[in-house]
Amino acid sequence: MKRREILKRAGIVAAAAVAGPFFHVRPARADKGDLVVVSWGGDYDQALRDFVFPAFEKATGYTVKLDAPPETAKVKAMVQSGNVSWDVIMTDTPAVQALVKDSLLEPLDYAVIDKAKLGRIPRELQQQYALGQRIYSFNIVYNTNSMPKAKHPRNWAEVWDAKNFPGGRTFNFQGGIAPQLEAALLADGVPVDKLYPLDVERAWRMMDKLKPIVAKWYTSHAQAIQLLSAGEASVGNTIGPRGITAKKAGAPVDVEYNQGKLASDNWCLVKGVRNKKVAMEFINTALDPKMQASIAQKVPYGPSNTGAFEFLSAQDAADLTTSPENIKQQFWWNTDWWSAPGPDGKSPREAQGERFAKWMINS
Amino acid sequence: MTGARVALWALCTLVMMFLIAPIIVIVITSFNGTPYMDFPPKSLSLRWYANFFSSAHWYDTALLSLRVALLTMVAATVLGTSAAIGIVRGTFPGRRALEAFFISPMVVPIVVVALGFYFLFSRYHLLDTTLGLFLGHTVIATPLVIVMVRAALRTTNPAMELAARSLGADFWRSLRYVTLPSIKATIVAAAAFAFLISFDDVVIAIFVAGPDTTTLPKRMWETIRFEIDPTLTAIASLLTLVAVIVLVGVELMRRGSSERVE
Amino acid sequence: MGRAARFWRSREGALVLPALAFYVLVYLYPLSRIVGWSFFDPDFTLKFYRELLAEPAYFKALRNTLEISVLVTLISLMLGYPLAYLMTTTSARARRVLTVLILVPFWTSILVRTFAWLVILGNNGLVNRALLDLGLVEFPQKLLFNMVGVQVGMVHVLLPFMVFPLYGVMSRIDLNVVRVARSLGAVPRKAFLYVFLPLSLPGVGAGCILVFLLAIGFYVTPALLGGPGQITLATMIDMMINTFLNFGFAATLGVLLLAVVGGIFGLFSGLMGLNRILGAGEGR
Repeated sequence: MKRREILKRAGIVAAAAVAGPFFHVRPARADKGDLVVVSWGGDYDQALRDFVFPAFEKATGYTVKLDAPPETAKVKAMVQSGNVSWDVIMTDTPAVQALVKDSLLEPLDYAVIDKAKLGRIPRELQQQYALGQRIYSFNIVYNTNSMPKAKHPRNWAEVWDAKNFPGGRTFNFQGGIAPQLEAALLADGVPVDKLYPLDVERAWRMMDKLKPIVAKWYTSHAQAIQLLSAGEASVGNTIGPRGITAKKAGAPVDVEYNQGKLASDNWCLVKGVRNKKVAMEFINTALDPKMQASIAQKVPYGPSNTGAFEFLSAQDAADLTTSPENIKQQFWWNTDWWSAPGPDGKSPREAQGERFAKWMINS
Repeated sequence: MTGARVALWALCTLVMMFLIAPIIVIVITSFNGTPYMDFPPKSLSLRWYANFFSSAHWYDTALLSLRVALLTMVAATVLGTSAAIGIVRGTFPGRRALEAFFISPMVVPIVVVALGFYFLFSRYHLLDTTLGLFLGHTVIATPLVIVMVRAALRTTNPAMELAARSLGADFWRSLRYVTLPSIKATIVAAAAFAFLISFDDVVIAIFVAGPDTTTLPKRMWETIRFEIDPTLTAIASLLTLVAVIVLVGVELMRRGSSERVE
Repeated sequence: MGRAARFWRSREGALVLPALAFYVLVYLYPLSRIVGWSFFDPDFTLKFYRELLAEPAYFKALRNTLEISVLVTLISLMLGYPLAYLMTTTSARARRVLTVLILVPFWTSILVRTFAWLVILGNNGLVNRALLDLGLVEFPQKLLFNMVGVQVGMVHVLLPFMVFPLYGVMSRIDLNVVRVARSLGAVPRKAFLYVFLPLSLPGVGAGCILVFLLAIGFYVTPALLGGPGQITLATMIDMMINTFLNFGFAATLGVLLLAVVGGIFGLFSGLMGLNRILGAGEGR
């Protein structure tokens, strides 16, 4: 009998726990006071919360709700089902291209953005459907225990050279821009200014040479950093700013900026966004140079508004991939080449992506 | 003990070590003093635990996951047990096809199922609600219950129920006092599994949850995908502790009863 | 069978109704929509299926999936059967301890466990350090990002799903039958092989089906712990959905998987008398 009592009490507690705000149903179109912003989560979201949200909420009276991650499939499902609940998303350029192809984004209203800000943002980052918020780069990231600063790969050719630089490599299989054909071509000696249009077959021949020395084809950049920190891989092609964050936290990794590939994470509006003007206001707030500087101090991504550098110390700036020292060693990922539709309607992003998957499976 | 018995114990001990080893690694890592995870930790600290408890975000998501999992456990167990009994003991035609239908959510890749849910829930405004999550999880947890209960039912003897009924018990009584008790252990195990399937689900949560209904695994997935936060190990260790407490408690309670082998 | 028995049996059949209603409302609609995507774009088309048949890579992914799942099932069975047997034949106290120990890892999220495997199986990991220190190997063994890593990771997660159905059936076996066999002169090994083992087969069937089905759906573990040879169909489906936004083709791959698994069961059912393994359909 004692056991029955205990079970009964446990049942009551469980019932109480269960009877929480259960049937809270959100209305399909949010109340006037809401703006849903979607980003990548983690420290960057925290920085947005700390700096951008309060300023925006104070200025407009709207509350910001944060969601993560900006899964493109969810955007597509949202738009196709007619039930759009995301307003502003921040995502990378390949995702933007995929979304634009299926007409899932709303064109941006540049009239709402301050001219002064636009003047300091690189022109390539100002597109019809996307406005750059932060700049990152694919760099040579290496483990300092197995590849000390004195003798680490300084270009992609040396990354391909396992004899002089032994150790496992890690490249991305999924995770934004893939495959890394530019790195392959650079490793084969193609000069940076002659990269585009890419000689695809030549690049794949180099990829064939890379395959045997890859320890793991990572599926998320966080995983890449983890592998490099733990020494499971000695050098990899991954996001430089993440490497810097790990380095600052004490991990034995470092970043080589030579031959790095620059790309941007961008603000976009989901098609059918509820209040376009307010959404653009939010983006306008996030582009403020002082705001971007504060964020960059916390999370070392390059601010899209170069005016932010005026608010950063030399030391903070040195860590950023877009500092004058670092940016001059790198090249921009050519979004036009990658998104241009081929004769069969598929862009290189799609065609090479598919080819990559098949290449991987058939190994 | 015979030689065979010793060998059996030796093998099982190795298996247990295999099962427990990662848990120990995780618990040790949760006390790591540095923000990036290395092993063995060079310094110890309680910061990740503090981080979890002080962060409303982690705390709320854990509570939500718990709620949804409890609801799913009840629903999946009730639906699954009744369906299994119906299939095994029933006489209507097409039972095997029905059984395959009931089990199919386990076979269809979960990411496809999740996408399907997205469209369905979107239509009825169930996205970003606890109810939506609960429904989705129940669909994927019920097949598990069915498979387990069905196996147990097939080893029990229907003659007992017939006997009970010929003695005057009606349908519900024979169900309650004869059928169910004979498979009680399996039902409890199936319920626990259903709970865990819901609690640990990532994929359905990614599609069906939203800013107001972030579950623990969804938050962990975001964290792992985009940054690796050692708070995860603290959470995992806490969950393990809770599991140990609950399991030990349940077993201690069982000691009080005079049940056989279950 | 008497009229009374038939009457009561049909009543029990009605118990499927709640689950049926639930499934039709919440599951059948999305499921049929998904299958629909593979055939309509938006008009009826077979282009997705043609694309599927034209490219061997998808079938290789399917093969990877099956390879992994079959191996996981076998290993889980080999490890789980002794464990379940021990649980059945040992003291109540030891059984409780074993139960707790088996279930504790169950609560740990897959995502976090994966990190632990990195620590344990990596080149600088615990296992390799031990092997090197003991002089058993010359250089670190590759235990991660290949089939070994995936098997370790998946068996670790799925073992309880093998052990508990097995135990559920084993615990119900009347041990007196085994004792009778022994008293009739059978050696312990024969008593086990010819009496206990056959009686435990329903549990084997249930455990294997469960583990196999669950293994087929996994895509997180093979993605995190596997290499190119472990790219599963589920990974491809995820890629189709998230990277290429090609819902139609993703649905096609899903239908393929469903068809293959259904086919496997049909084959088993016919060949090995699945009914016998799982117990007869009539509930004996």
